[in-house]
Amino acid sequence: MQVKLTIFRYDPENDKKPHFDKFTVEAEPTDRVLDLLEYIKDYKDGTLAYRRSCAHGVCGSDAMRINGVNRLACKVLVQDVGTTLKVEPILGLPVQRDLIVDMEPFFDHYKSVIPYFVGSEEMPQKEQLQSPEDRERFDDTTKCILCGACTTSCPSFWANGNYVGPAAIVNAHRFIFDSRDQAVVERLKILNDQFGVYRCHTIFNCTDACPREIQVTQAVGEVKKAIATARLD
Amino acid sequence: MALDRKVGFWEGVRYKGGGPMLAWALHRISGLGMIIFISLHVVASFFTQQMGSDWAIGINIIYESPYFQLFIVFAVLFHALNGMRIIILDLWPKMLRYQREMTWLQWLIFIPIYSLTIFIMIQRVMAGG
Ligand code: SF4
Ligand code: FES
Repeated sequence: MQVKLTIFRYDPENDKKPHFDKFTVEAEPTDRVLDLLEYIKDYKDGTLAYRRSCAHGVCGSDAMRINGVNRLACKVLVQDVGTTLKVEPILGLPVQRDLIVDMEPFFDHYKSVIPYFVGSEEMPQKEQLQSPEDRERFDDTTKCILCGACTTSCPSFWANGNYVGPAAIVNAHRFIFDSRDQAVVERLKILNDQFGVYRCHTIFNCTDACPREIQVTQAVGEVKKAIATARLD
Repeated sequence: MALDRKVGFWEGVRYKGGGPMLAWALHRISGLGMIIFISLHVVASFFTQQMGSDWAIGINIIYESPYFQLFIVFAVLFHALNGMRIIILDLWPKMLRYQREMTWLQWLIFIPIYSLTIFIMIQRVMAGG
């Protein structure tokens, strides 16, 4: 089958403004959108720029807007999105070139929530065991690959880049609800800020965009409630 | 140089967030709509009473027309029900998993009440009321 692609183009060295380029390529229904981009780059226009690494939905490099919603190009099949495609960069981060955006502001927000395990001060003498139920509590949010699809689908983030965004909250949730972690209070304090969890207006674009099917809005809601009630349940 | 991060209004509207994003947008629009029109109504009523000014009477004629009333009932009812849904989701975050079902439930309550309103209004208009 033939697939028609309209792709967002911007070359900072030669273009004043972005424009769209059209390509038609031959594809199988089971091809992924990433395969089409690879084909275009290899055979039609070598200057097309996008990020990808694993090509299997693990590294989180190729989040982009495909027909108006954030998706990983390596996880979306042609048969699921149709034969007329519009491919654009994710929103709310500066576009550096074509489909490549500057992810630095995104990772700065990520770093701001202490996204790592903080153990007890004294060195434990043996392993710190955790019950399967306690592990289950935060299982959903361990699956994040930091692709940025959620944060850049969020109207609150579009409106104000200072909002930490759903991805950072998901990664805070991962440790806030970990029974062994010691930095819960600090993290809740960081997120109880005017640019913290309360910027979330339950719009659900993040949950829909997440390629790992994480219940992103639920994670944000649980952190909101933990802040409001000062309890983790 | 990289492009500005700014997301234009139309760019944002074009994002296909679907039902939940629409509910959020309607919540904002209905909220703003209620504030603007109800305060306008109060101010216009005051001016009509005090000095019978023409523009104030004009505004109240619009306000009391059945079409406009349909809009205002929509705004109040939608805003109230959607607000309830969000309050429930805020109080019991576990329910966020079932937000699709909750949105259906919201429309299931909304449609009969709103239809009844339309029905009664049409009846009144027909009866010349
Ligand atoms: S929560 Fe999902 S959408 Fe957001 S960064 Fe992680 S994997 Fe990507
Ligand atoms: S290329 Fe690694 S997630 Fe798509």
